[in-house]
Amino acid sequence: MATKSVPVTLSKVTKIFKDPKTRAEVHAVEDANFDVKPGELVTLLGPSGCGKTTMLRMIGGFELPTKGRILIGETDVTFLPPNGRQTATVFQSYGLFPHMDVFDNVAYGLKIRKLSQREIKSRVDAVLDLVGLSELAHRAPGRLSGGQQQRVALARSLVVEPQVLLLDEPLSNLDALLREQMRVEIRRIQKSLGITAIYVTHDRIEAMSLSDRVIVMRDGRIQQIGTPGDVYERPVSVFVAGFVGKVAFFPAQLEGIDGAGRALCTVGGRQVHAGSAAEGLRVGARVVVMARPESLRLVGREEAVAMGLVTARVYLGSSVEIYVKTDTGEILVQVDDPSGKAIPSEGEAVWIGFDEKRVRVLPAE
Amino acid sequence: MFTKKKLIVFAVVCAIFAAGEYWIFSTLQKSFEKNSLMEMTSLVKAMAASAPKDDGALAAWAEQLAGTYAGSRFFVIRGVPGEEGSEGVGGDRALFDLVARPANAAIAARAAESVSYLEVFRWPEHVSFSGVPYTLMVAPVPDEENSSARATLLVAVDSSGYVAYGRLIQTLALVAFALFALGLGIATFSRDPVSGYAILVLAAVVIAFVAYPLLEAVRLTLVKEGRFSFGVWKTILSNRQYLQALWGSVQLGIVTATISTFIGFVYAFAVARTGMKGKKLVTALATMPVISPPFSLTLSIILLFGKNGIVTKQLLGLQNFNIYGLGGLALVQTISMFPIAFLTMQGVLQAIDSTLEDASLDLNASRWYTFSHVTLPLAAPGLLSSWLLVFTNSLADFANPLLLSGSYRVLSVESYIEVTGMSRLDNGAALSLLLLLPTLTAFLVQRRWVSRKSFVVVTGKPSTRLSDLASPAARRALTGFVAVVSGFIVALYATIVAGCFVKNWGIDYSFTLMNIGEALTRGRQALLSTITLAGIATPIAGILSMVAAVILVRKKFPGKRLLESLIMTPFAIPGTLIGISFILAFNKPPLLLVGTGAILVINYVIRELPVGLEGGVAALRQIDPSIEEAAADLGADQATIFRTIILPLIRPAFISSMSYTFVRSMTAVSAIIFLISARWYHITIQIYNFSENLRFGLASVLSTTLIVIVLAVFGLMRLLVRQSEFLEKTVTTQ
Repeated sequence: MATKSVPVTLSKVTKIFKDPKTRAEVHAVEDANFDVKPGELVTLLGPSGCGKTTMLRMIGGFELPTKGRILIGETDVTFLPPNGRQTATVFQSYGLFPHMDVFDNVAYGLKIRKLSQREIKSRVDAVLDLVGLSELAHRAPGRLSGGQQQRVALARSLVVEPQVLLLDEPLSNLDALLREQMRVEIRRIQKSLGITAIYVTHDRIEAMSLSDRVIVMRDGRIQQIGTPGDVYERPVSVFVAGFVGKVAFFPAQLEGIDGAGRALCTVGGRQVHAGSAAEGLRVGARVVVMARPESLRLVGREEAVAMGLVTARVYLGSSVEIYVKTDTGEILVQVDDPSGKAIPSEGEAVWIGFDEKRVRVLPAE
Repeated sequence: MFTKKKLIVFAVVCAIFAAGEYWIFSTLQKSFEKNSLMEMTSLVKAMAASAPKDDGALAAWAEQLAGTYAGSRFFVIRGVPGEEGSEGVGGDRALFDLVARPANAAIAARAAESVSYLEVFRWPEHVSFSGVPYTLMVAPVPDEENSSARATLLVAVDSSGYVAYGRLIQTLALVAFALFALGLGIATFSRDPVSGYAILVLAAVVIAFVAYPLLEAVRLTLVKEGRFSFGVWKTILSNRQYLQALWGSVQLGIVTATISTFIGFVYAFAVARTGMKGKKLVTALATMPVISPPFSLTLSIILLFGKNGIVTKQLLGLQNFNIYGLGGLALVQTISMFPIAFLTMQGVLQAIDSTLEDASLDLNASRWYTFSHVTLPLAAPGLLSSWLLVFTNSLADFANPLLLSGSYRVLSVESYIEVTGMSRLDNGAALSLLLLLPTLTAFLVQRRWVSRKSFVVVTGKPSTRLSDLASPAARRALTGFVAVVSGFIVALYATIVAGCFVKNWGIDYSFTLMNIGEALTRGRQALLSTITLAGIATPIAGILSMVAAVILVRKKFPGKRLLESLIMTPFAIPGTLIGISFILAFNKPPLLLVGTGAILVINYVIRELPVGLEGGVAALRQIDPSIEEAAADLGADQATIFRTIILPLIRPAFISSMSYTFVRSMTAVSAIIFLISARWYHITIQIYNFSENLRFGLASVLSTTLIVIVLAVFGLMRLLVRQSEFLEKTVTTQ
């Protein structure tokens, strides 16, 4: 089942829907440009309504772009119907054929391709084995658990050896534990087949743990494209920083940027050398300094950039999460290895400081 | 999609097709022209040869020709026109004036030249006299030596048929080209050509068989002697008799709708909200009148309450009791139509969350107070909806009034009499259009307004137990009422069966089997042709309605709303109007269908499409679209998806749509009665004829046969649908 991996290219893709009642135009996707490299798994991440599913449906051929081009390998597939392109989609609701058993569901695509009975049998058996469903080949899909249905959907897409695998929130109907399992499973299968895959999700943990690269979207526009590390540690905007992980923001004034990319700014009356800064910032502008919970700590008054009252403590064993209410909002401070440390109690006033090397300056929204 | 290359290919192929088509059709037309010219020339030569020797008799000869060849015009000129000494002798002066017109001088000169060479000349253009096109021929009348023309004969041959043929050829060529270009366009530019073709076919069907006939009907009422006029409408709206019929229809509709809604509500309440026993039996009995053939209930009412009715004459000894009229009609319509109200109200009452009633009872409201302040207001939109549904049905009803109206006038029967009795098609069309006014209003109100105002509370949680709102005494009263009505229904059907075995109802009640033999012999041809045609229509309507459902639910395309409305139209308009508009539209080219079996099949199909479509749409809405998308994604085209995924999944809707089509086609009357022919007769009309001739025994046998067939078909459908019931459960798991 080794297919030649192909790239996917979207250039200037725009999708405008017309509201049938009000005739108003809705820009679901605006000017999207990106490449997916052969064998890469790229995640489209964003809140619901950001256009990520529309983007996937355009790649799959279920929607036509209003403008722009989509290429799979060398082929322009922009206007090809779904059955004319080498993509296979795993749908959020799976879309299993309820009147066929597991075997026939998986064999469907092969029967359309008019393969011989023997070939169909051997390929379906192989793929059912891959997803661990050999035992259930003759069950009706209605009598499978959610996780099993998910595997059937995946097997059905993989068996036709598509050039690109498209996954539309495939895990959203599963419970938390199963979701984690399937996440690992999908990643394992995708890597072992070396298939190019595009994955849509609104779950940042799923996106971070699965992907080679993440595309963060908002209101139809791509905000940032990068590795999970990039978007977590070096987000380009307050939105991306907030969407991909827990974060605290401190209003600040940008004083200058040095040659190494470090930014000098004033936070809470203190001068800070932030470890990095987003591009295109102007000296003197109002900015925010972002800090992840793991780079925040409780400090003495002289080192502090903010002050507040403890509203809650959450003991997690390896760490303690302390929620602090400050003038600029609630801040989560993570205290690692808490044993033996003095943990402030609720209602207590605390001072918060951060590891200057690990904070980043972003444009204010 | 539109790329430059595709556009060029499209344009080139279209041009080649157009060129080929032009060649074919112009050859056709030319050869036809040549033939007809030859024919006409020899005809005219023969005419000229019959000229009297005596020049003085030429004028009389012209008159004589005109007498022999009606529809043609003649004029005789002595000598060759334009030459010295020539003069008009006699005949139709208009011909001479035309030839002598200064503007035509050049042509006339050529004609004169031909004549002097003793050749027949054909006027190059068609000429027209009082609106009719003619071919004008100028023929020499040779002298005795056959060397020169001693006279000239002008002959104008009526060629309206010829001109119409030319127009037909041109229309056909244009239609062929349009179809080719559309088909090619879809194949070239569409991502989903199969759906494109399906839309094209559906559109063609509804335009040709819904829109076109109705427009023809409207046109007929607005045109008098080739001119636009409100004359027909003026006649209709100023005639007391017609207005009486309009009021009669509305009055009957109001009475029937009101009583039916009341009985339907009592039934629904007893079944849905009380612990009455025998609910299944009651429901089954109540649905009988909906599916049973027309005339059967009327027939049994006549047998029971007619002049020689067993109740009126034998039991009560009434002389000259008259069941014909508003009372009898309201009775039979109520029995036939209250089930509509019952089924509607049952759905509404079952959907009302009974915890609301529990809450009211819990707040110490009495049962009556709860019923009148909670249940009834919640059910009110359903009541109005039932009323409107029955009202429309009563107005459109044709079969019952046809037999039972007596001197009472209703529009549907009135328009039938206008068309078949008086041959006044325009008045008939206008009357049935008049019927559309209240029907369509009620239909639209029901659709647009009532269905939106529904208060039905859908909680998704099925109530485990419905609270019994009726007190024991009230329940007994309800049960008693339902039992009486149900008993009456049973009695009606028993009467029909009894009618089969009675020698001469009302006079001689002795047992006989003769009726069965005679009815089946005389009705055999009608029965066979009805089954054949309904059998042909059934799969066509079934497939077409499912295809339409898929396209209307799943596809986006311009004109979708219009297509949907056109498909639904036959559902909302009375059958008589459809029947009349069909004869108007299809008794002439290009679609000359009157008298064929095809017109019946087409009529069945377009009338049953809406019902099948609704069923298909409801079934499709239950299916997650991603199932079909998954199939497309795996490489299936639209046709394969329809065959392998959609059809198996909506099988129950498909089967029931087909069985309804079959049954309703077999029991159709109102449109069919205009369209039957000696070769393609219809069983229901046979029943009507037997009843009209007071052969009630024969009518009973055919009615019973039809009831048995209908029940058998529905039984079969139940069986087939049950087999696929497992599907419905799994389809909606997601």
